[in-house]
Amino acid sequence: MTETVIHVQGLVKDHLSNFLRKRFRALDGLNLTVRKGETYGLLGPNGAGKTTTQKLLLGLLKPTGGTVQVLGYQPGDTRALARIGFLPENPYFYAYLTAYEFLDFFGRLFNLCAAKRKERIAELLKLVSLTEARDRPVRKFSKGMMQRLGVAQALLNDPDLIFLDEPNTGLDPIGRRDIRNIMLALKEQGKTIFFNSHMLPDVRDICDRVGVLHRGKLVGEGEVEAICTSGNYQDLEDYFMDLINTAEEEYRKTGGITPYHIEREGVR
Amino acid sequence: MRSFGAVSAIALNTFRETVRDRVLYAIVFFALVATLAGLVLGTLSVEQDVRILEDLGLFTITAFGGIIAIFIGTNLVFKEIDRRTIFLIFTKPIKRWEFVTGKFLGLALCILVVCFAMGLFLIAIVCWQTLQTADPSVSWTTTLTNTLIPSLIPRLLTSLVLMYVELVLVIALATFFSTFSTPLMSMLFTFGLWICGHMTDSLKALGELSTSPVVKVVTNGLYNALPDLALLTRIRGEALDGGNFPIDLVSGIGAYVLLYTVLLLSFATVIAERREFQ
Ligand SMILES: Nc1ncnc2c1ncn2[C@@H]1O[C@H](COP(=O)(O)OP(=O)(O)O)[C@@H](O)[C@H]1O
Ligand SMILES: [Mg+2]
Repeated sequence: MTETVIHVQGLVKDHLSNFLRKRFRALDGLNLTVRKGETYGLLGPNGAGKTTTQKLLLGLLKPTGGTVQVLGYQPGDTRALARIGFLPENPYFYAYLTAYEFLDFFGRLFNLCAAKRKERIAELLKLVSLTEARDRPVRKFSKGMMQRLGVAQALLNDPDLIFLDEPNTGLDPIGRRDIRNIMLALKEQGKTIFFNSHMLPDVRDICDRVGVLHRGKLVGEGEVEAICTSGNYQDLEDYFMDLINTAEEEYRKTGGITPYHIEREGVR
Repeated sequence: MRSFGAVSAIALNTFRETVRDRVLYAIVFFALVATLAGLVLGTLSVEQDVRILEDLGLFTITAFGGIIAIFIGTNLVFKEIDRRTIFLIFTKPIKRWEFVTGKFLGLALCILVVCFAMGLFLIAIVCWQTLQTADPSVSWTTTLTNTLIPSLIPRLLTSLVLMYVELVLVIALATFFSTFSTPLMSMLFTFGLWICGHMTDSLKALGELSTSPVVKVVTNGLYNALPDLALLTRIRGEALDGGNFPIDLVSGIGAYVLLYTVLLLSFATVIAERREFQ
């Protein structure tokens, strides 16, 4: 039995909207286990609750119910965070810093000494092909460069566990390929990767296992290899669409227990 | 040791952010214009009074230092939340108090530098004015060694230090409100409390005059809770006049401001620990 890195049981999260204090259940009884060295893809349409899940795992949000353990600690414990890297969705960076200053700042927050920071930053800038842009202010970066800088930032501490929230959304094909290659390299190194996405071809290439989230519920989970070779589905997309359609039908039939905000609000 | 690294990293980043912010330069520019206007007024006044210049200069530096503290301070934490850079910070192994303290220290350092620069400018002008109005039969080196260095410059520096103590309180208030409130509301709160701190006597008088128990409770509460900035200003005036320096009173107020800062930053930490980051 390999070590469990993420353990989630009966996780519930209600968002309180500012107006009228209305409750909206973004996650409803989620169970999830990710093992060491695994690359886990959390899939789901916009508004399914993927970002909410990652924020709960990182301690940015507090659960309404259920238990969460990450690397054996409560979410947000600094001992766990020291071994975690995180790339948020659509990251925004300090526009007034250069790429080097930006990475140096986070290197300090990871408590790396000056020599270590220097070495690590040079390595990572090379890895994400930003060595040339090292002294350029971040405000002049393109979307793809931002995303790659975000990846570099997430790897400063040589983490054991990496959270990536839609790292390949909004990138051009080259940008997507770069990110995919970096992720494959990390996987090679034996890192555990928890990855939100709806870019299914990339997921197929990278992930060992996927879970499909729909309206805050996990409606399916399986090994990518098994899904694609079982003969029941043409490909991952077929699997995904099938699960979502079934779940949606079920949802319509039961009349829906959770209010439906997804179409109106889209991604947050 | 680890905390020191985190706090200084946040402080340095905040310092960089503020000194690379155009708002700062706009405010400093206005401060310079105001000081120059004061200079003109000073030279026009009948007695060519250096004291007017000193008072006006110190008032200008306090006012503009406070404005910078309020404008930038109330945005400090709010901007990190609004722009979602907070996601990157709070997923690093740092404690919330380290973040809050670093933000505060970064801005305090920035304002120290700005006030020091404005203070040097003021000292230069006052020295120049003194030399201009000095008895022409006395050589300028004599004025320098007899008046400026032993008396005028130390008096001004003392007043500047006392002024900074006041600004520290404003920075702490702005940082505190910034952790849970929008910049506009934080500005109103911070500015309001700052002014109240200067009017503690009036607050007390108001409470005694008023018949409404609510007003009495509020004014009394503010009177008792706020540091007495009016007293600090009076002491500053006396220090400027070369009067004796009430070291016990000053250290009392200093300790009070320090306690205040620690309390405000602790509350800010508790808020940052409790709240969620959407
Ligand atoms: N702060 C919030 N207040 C209210 N509702 C929210 C908030 N954040 C997210 N939601 C809602 O929760 C649901 C899940 O959001 P999210 O986790 O961002 O989805 P995903 O990342 O899968 O697109 C969405 O319907 C979204 O509108
Ligand atoms: Mg999302």
